[in-house]
Amino acid sequence: MSILELKNLSGKIGNFFLDNINLEILNNEYFVLLGQSGSGKTKLLESIAGLNKCSGEIIFEKKNITNIRSEKREIAFVYQDFALFPTLNVAQNIKFSNRYKKIKNEHELYDDLISFLKLEKLLDRDIKDLSGGEKQRVAIARALYSRPKILLLDEPLSAIDPTFKSSIMKSLKEIHKRYDLTTIHVTHNFREASHLADKIAIIIDGKIVQVGTSNDVLTHPKNMDVAKFLGFKNIFPISMLELISDSKFYSIDPSVIYVSQENNLNNDYVFEGIVDECIGIVDHYKLFVRVNEYQFFIKISKREYLGSFEESQSQVFIGFNKNDIGFIQ
Amino acid sequence: MSKNSFTILLIVLSLIIALFLSAPIIKIFVGVGSDKLLDAIKDGDVIESILLTMRVSAYAMVFVLFTGIPLAYLIARYDFYGRSFLEALIDIPIMIPHTAAGIALLTTFGDTSLGDFFKFFGIEFIGTEYGIMIAMMFLSAPFLINSAKDGFRKVDVKLENVARTLGASPLEVFFRISIANAKKDIINGALMMWSRGLGEFGAVVILVYHPMTTPVLIYDRFTSYGLSFSAPIAAVIIGFSLFVFLIIRFMTSRLK
Repeated sequence: MSILELKNLSGKIGNFFLDNINLEILNNEYFVLLGQSGSGKTKLLESIAGLNKCSGEIIFEKKNITNIRSEKREIAFVYQDFALFPTLNVAQNIKFSNRYKKIKNEHELYDDLISFLKLEKLLDRDIKDLSGGEKQRVAIARALYSRPKILLLDEPLSAIDPTFKSSIMKSLKEIHKRYDLTTIHVTHNFREASHLADKIAIIIDGKIVQVGTSNDVLTHPKNMDVAKFLGFKNIFPISMLELISDSKFYSIDPSVIYVSQENNLNNDYVFEGIVDECIGIVDHYKLFVRVNEYQFFIKISKREYLGSFEESQSQVFIGFNKNDIGFIQ
Repeated sequence: MSKNSFTILLIVLSLIIALFLSAPIIKIFVGVGSDKLLDAIKDGDVIESILLTMRVSAYAMVFVLFTGIPLAYLIARYDFYGRSFLEALIDIPIMIPHTAAGIALLTTFGDTSLGDFFKFFGIEFIGTEYGIMIAMMFLSAPFLINSAKDGFRKVDVKLENVARTLGASPLEVFFRISIANAKKDIINGALMMWSRGLGEFGAVVILVYHPMTTPVLIYDRFTSYGLSFSAPIAAVIIGFSLFVFLIIRFMTSRLK
């Protein structure tokens, strides 16, 4: 059942444009909005929260809330920089909403949040004395304490030390389930999206260009812009494969291409090429092989390398299988 | 120039201006002497005038707290046609001569239809505390409005947004978030406005000679009796102002 529907949402907010956004988000779904900086992700979240004026419709649990004020929507927001109130301590920040909302089982919820998010020792602290990770936990607790049905997370991992990212991603998933939430998570990081999302929408220049399951969007980009944004490598015309397809381009993952100095590859597609360059990285080698006017980028693990492609301009054979090909419109 | 020489140059130049600013204040207390200072404190006219000046300046400040803070917030938060013009308009009183401001106020609120309108409600501006108040307000309000505006601009709009999503209405957000986080600038601005109002002479003297505010009394004693009769009053008002100023600054510094 859908909990939130955006219908033809458009508007100019500052220097950003939201261009006819249509989305449907299911109840208890972990929905990731993926886009580059400046693509309008945060503005879209703010519009969902009722903080920006837009044309179109926002339907929440089958009710039109387009003109409902932000404070009356059951939607909580956690900003990238957490936006904790500097004049209040941690406990006061968390309990901010209890002055304005009737919170069901507020004491139980508060105790549960404090223990689940490990905030016991921070409650009397000033905001300025918290680390980035602590601020994030407080901001999440503050949002959840207001008992929202939808949690909006704006780049929640961007201000976090990379070593803690995977444990926080795990926590975000746990929070999502534990508090029976629908989560809309905005990020520019497609690895983060692939790890967390049930469904992904790609936003480019204020326009939703592709929506689908995590696997679908990340492996089958709808067009070249999405493919480039998702970091697809080796994008070449489909004519190169002599295939009949509706797609104009294909892409092949650099780590599934086989290389050999002999013409002994047993793959669906095999090409003869010339080594342009070979660069050694920490745990693998990057091999660039030219096939006619196209340059293939190939990743070879150190174990498989055997020191055989160092010589530039040497002749090699590369091959890959049909199953590994991604088609791009 | 070496780093040491540069530091010495900075210190010397700073000392010149610091001495220039502090010497007259110190001199007025040292030069007056304790006997004359006590006489001034005991002088009923002087105390009455100081209390009148402080009180009316406080009224003006309170009025601008209620009207100028919403204006400052509007300017800081909303992008609207004519905003720059409005900002320039607020700064005009700082730039014009105070006597000219007094004349402008007299031609607006004196014997005019606007003056008559207020008279209908029992409010007269010539020779009354209301007159003192509008003169002080006209020339010192920009200090409070500009300071509050800067304070609001420093408050991250995201704090207000989050507070809204947590259930607070725009009015509750204004008081609990915007004002709470800009309070240091607002208090400093209010203090600046109040102390600037205490010193207002040019506009006040044109609208209201009696009852006498302290600057008018100092001027009156100076022109009628000379320096030895006006200096103690100046020392007393400076002392009072510094006392109040330091107390409020101390309180402000303890705020989060």
